[in-house]
Amino acid sequence: MKMLSWRVAVFLLPVWLCAQSLQEFEKRVTEFTLDNGLHFIVLQRREAPVVSFYAYVDTGSVNDPRGKTGLAHMFEHMIGKGTARVGATNWPEERKALQQVEAIYDELEQERRKRGRADPEVVKKLEADLQKAIEKANSYVNPNEFVRVVEESGGVGFNAGTGPDRTTYFYSLPSNRIELWFLLQSEWFRQPVYREFYKERDVVREERRMRVESSPQGKLQELLMATAFIASPYRTLIGWASDIENLRAEDADRFHRAYYVPANITIAIAGDVDPAHVRRLADKYYARIPAGPLPPLVITEEPPQEGERRVTVESVSQPILMMAYKRPDQRHDDDPVLDVVASILSSGRTGMMYREMVRDKQIALAAAAIAAFPSAKYPSLFLLYSVPNMGHSVEDNEKATEALLEQLKREKVDEETLQRVKTKIRAGLIRQLANNSGLASQLAFYHVNYGDWRTLFTGIEVIDKVTADDVQRVARKYFDQKTRTVAYLVKPGAAEAPANNAGGEAK
Amino acid sequence: MIARSLAALLAGGLLWAQAPAKVPSLPGYQELKYPPLPQVKIPEIAVYTLSNGMKLYLLENHELPLVGGFALVRTGNLFDPPGKIGLADLTGEVMRTGGTRDKPGDEIDVQLENIAASVEAGIGETSGTVSFNCLRENVDEVLQVFKAVLTEPEFRQDKVDLAKTQSRSIIARRNDNPSAIASREFSSILYGRDTPYGWDVEYEHVDRIARDDMVAFHKRYFFPANIMLALQGDFAAPAMKDKLEKLFADWNVQQPPVPAFPPVQAKPSPGVFLATKEDVNQTFFRIGHLAGVLKDEDYPALQVVADILGGGFSSRLFRKVRTELGYAYSVGANWGANYNHPGAFSISGSTKSESTTATIETILGEVERIRTGEVTDEELKTAKEKVLNSFVFNFDQPGKTLNRLVIYEYHGYPKDFIFQYQKAVESVTKAEILEAAKKRLNPDQLSIVAVGKPSEFGRELSELNLPIKPIDLTIPEPKREASKADSASLAKGKELLQRAQQAVGGAGKLEAVNDFTMSANVHVTMPQGAMNVTQLNRWLKPSHVRQEQELPFGKMSSYFDGKTGWLSTPQGTQPMPDIVARQVRGAVLRSLPLLLLSDRLPGRSVNLAEDGLVEITDASGESVQLKVNPETGLPESVTYQSLQMTGQPATLVDAFDDWQEFDGIRQPRKVAITRDGQPYAQVEVKEIRFNSGLTVEELSKQP
Repeated sequence: MKMLSWRVAVFLLPVWLCAQSLQEFEKRVTEFTLDNGLHFIVLQRREAPVVSFYAYVDTGSVNDPRGKTGLAHMFEHMIGKGTARVGATNWPEERKALQQVEAIYDELEQERRKRGRADPEVVKKLEADLQKAIEKANSYVNPNEFVRVVEESGGVGFNAGTGPDRTTYFYSLPSNRIELWFLLQSEWFRQPVYREFYKERDVVREERRMRVESSPQGKLQELLMATAFIASPYRTLIGWASDIENLRAEDADRFHRAYYVPANITIAIAGDVDPAHVRRLADKYYARIPAGPLPPLVITEEPPQEGERRVTVESVSQPILMMAYKRPDQRHDDDPVLDVVASILSSGRTGMMYREMVRDKQIALAAAAIAAFPSAKYPSLFLLYSVPNMGHSVEDNEKATEALLEQLKREKVDEETLQRVKTKIRAGLIRQLANNSGLASQLAFYHVNYGDWRTLFTGIEVIDKVTADDVQRVARKYFDQKTRTVAYLVKPGAAEAPANNAGGEAK
Repeated sequence: MIARSLAALLAGGLLWAQAPAKVPSLPGYQELKYPPLPQVKIPEIAVYTLSNGMKLYLLENHELPLVGGFALVRTGNLFDPPGKIGLADLTGEVMRTGGTRDKPGDEIDVQLENIAASVEAGIGETSGTVSFNCLRENVDEVLQVFKAVLTEPEFRQDKVDLAKTQSRSIIARRNDNPSAIASREFSSILYGRDTPYGWDVEYEHVDRIARDDMVAFHKRYFFPANIMLALQGDFAAPAMKDKLEKLFADWNVQQPPVPAFPPVQAKPSPGVFLATKEDVNQTFFRIGHLAGVLKDEDYPALQVVADILGGGFSSRLFRKVRTELGYAYSVGANWGANYNHPGAFSISGSTKSESTTATIETILGEVERIRTGEVTDEELKTAKEKVLNSFVFNFDQPGKTLNRLVIYEYHGYPKDFIFQYQKAVESVTKAEILEAAKKRLNPDQLSIVAVGKPSEFGRELSELNLPIKPIDLTIPEPKREASKADSASLAKGKELLQRAQQAVGGAGKLEAVNDFTMSANVHVTMPQGAMNVTQLNRWLKPSHVRQEQELPFGKMSSYFDGKTGWLSTPQGTQPMPDIVARQVRGAVLRSLPLLLLSDRLPGRSVNLAEDGLVEITDASGESVQLKVNPETGLPESVTYQSLQMTGQPATLVDAFDDWQEFDGIRQPRKVAITRDGQPYAQVEVKEIRFNSGLTVEELSKQP
């Protein structure tokens, strides 16, 4: 009886809450689109005199040109470099110097393109010239002025991020200083300067060493993506080392002109703001960015997978298992069902993977599912990973994970579990509503990816309609060994271990 | 096609449209005029003391229909007993997972998650917390769980075991992440590896910790007078106070006041500490020494020092190491003061192996620079404005004010500490900054921890002209506690062993054994599946062993003379790897005819661990526990630790059955082996022969 009463209470309460939240929000949200196509979403939240800004550019590593992986990511690093007016000590001279760098680099590339016939002396000289030209250009830099101004003005959380499908720029300011954000960000969007580009390229190369090459998980994750995807640009996120090492400022310029057009940018602002004031500032600063055509869509489609793929990374570190199944993009009707499936598998202490693998069988230190990996604008992966406990292997973790997926296919999920998952998803939304920066990012994300920020709320109703039949149908449809990629991180020679073990221990 | 080329054209046209001259001129950021910032609302917090002595802090916040809170408990892992490091952490974990008197943890999981609520517990370095969060409507129900977890956790054994298993896995994984290694070793070096601030949890500690320890730890620290309770959310404070008063009215346990945390007693450890990790191409470093506490008079000045040195995108280190040299993705400095004990001043980051020495050198140069010359006016202005203009973010969520108040009280800081800090930063001068840097940054005390691949370091670390000390990352294997030995237990151990000798045929028979041969079928069950192995094992005095095995994938053989040996597989023959040699040595020690003679073999000690249990240890420290059947005198089982091929230790038990006589000596025909409690292998002995005249030549001959 008691169980039932919880369930009823839960069922009624959050639906009401979401409807109420949406109504409440409608009153406080203003939206407008400038003539050049740039879209603004403004949420008024007067709890404290602070404002969060979140600029979402609908581009990411999927748009990296062939041979130039890592290019979209460079922009995240260029934001701090500033503009013609910010970060410069003498822009006219610096501009000339930067052009000179590119001219020498062109010459160098021409010589290198001769391959075997290239004159090593010429290459050496041009490399030295290039270095000199770069140093000259750097002599006009007012280092990190752009970020310093933000920080001096009380800006917090200044950062940017690059994903497969998005590049985002964000920070928060005291509410009396919002004009600074309009000025700086619009100026950079309109005309970034590829200042210190080649030093920053080294920094990105270091970032790759840190995140991928010196990290067992990073290596495994990269290999999983590159194996699961043959053609899809989801193959790599940070980019290949050799591509990064050869990126050019002029590549970035071309990329900017194609992808940083106003119609491809959405800006969300949340906090203590007056919507009319925001509109005036948007007109003043952002309307001047010239309109441009929408960038091309990614047309490369991943061919169907016709057999299981298995890969191994040998590493002296402890084992990790990743398993990934192909799934459709976020606009597909099964998208919300896959979210529910991931929650059933791994949300909290009641998730199937925690219960079975961590708690009961004790074969894993941690085990979880991610509904969409690495992103979901294009068809992607349903990822399951597991960190085996001491004395347990990736193999037994794989078996246990597989058994759970088979269970989802064989048996209908019980109503209590389904309800619990839905309740948690709803409550999770409510818990996000008291945080400016989180809200700004969500509003922008839902607008760009689902066409309307309201989807943040209405999506919950879609989740609510997911049935146990849906869960079973979707499990049967996607958890197919044929479309699976399994990646192991194991010790060198671990495949021989079981036999040796028996030899050593049995008498 | 047409549309696309048109698009390309338009994009081309943009280039020209973008020429700077066409843009209407807008103000520079220097010309912007800002209105005054609206007054910040500082929320009111109601403070009470409940009749059982708990202090209560309530903050109404009606923005969302949620209620959350936490109990802050004066405890911490600084109180871990030296032999049981990790006890506080495990206690915090199992307080929640192990359930309460009325309800197992698993039931609590379902109960809470059905209503999207949470109750969590944890114990950190200098405090413990139990927290909750729920929708307003569920607050009564969730508070019941919260109270039960806080006051009457049951520490059920299955969850104690689970938490210990997980702790062991965490230890096994602690050398996988180079950044985590640097941070851990840095603390150990700064605070001292044998102090509560610098020590690490090892397998032996986890093995020693039992449910009773957790119960006792909880009992000692979780009592009303030692707890501050803070709640915020959608409630009326007076009503909530009454509710909590009633809820906790029956909880009145008392304990003596908790003593002060142990003092930090560390001496500087200057020099380079190098941990070699072959699978990385970056060096992860930490450079620093002990810092101070937040109460220090020069703390605000030191915060400014650290900020200018390495506090953000516009800091000196960021500019030099990242922006100018491109050596690092991340680099930063932190003064790191704590509330109640000296924190660590640290500079951390990572750089490609090749630029390791250059990066460290650059950083040391910047440390020297900031303590020998005044910062610029501009740097000071930036540092001050950052603190002052972003001050409002200390109040952007009402909960921040609540948390601050509770933390300040917990550590004995004044309520307005943050405002004092703001004022101090506002008035700090360049001279004060230099003085603080000069006094508190000590280049000759810096410990430099580097985790990386020295063979690729480019310039040698020795160019830094500092002593270089290696860090050994080996994870110590669990030491099984040797049982306490005194003359009585030694005598009794010998007596029991002699009883077993008698039961299998007598010491004389055993001592006459010069060699033996045993053939067996072994059925191994493993996670990957089952496997049948045929084995032929031969032993010759004093310590020659040969094993031949037929496995599903081919034949394997090995020979070991007590010191060295070889291993032959279908892939070829190689010198016996250390890990295999250790397993073979263990197998020889355990081999029954020899094990039973341990009282007569040199280097072995025999001791009675408990009734019916003899502990036998060989010269290398390897030990085995032999259980003897009290009625028949026959060996029942042996228990021992063995290293797996993965390098992880496991506990194995060989249980004997089906005794038969071979050449006058009784031996088991069946041996059931379990590994960490799970069935692992069944051995079926086909034949045993003693003294058949084996020779060293025939045993050592390679296939």
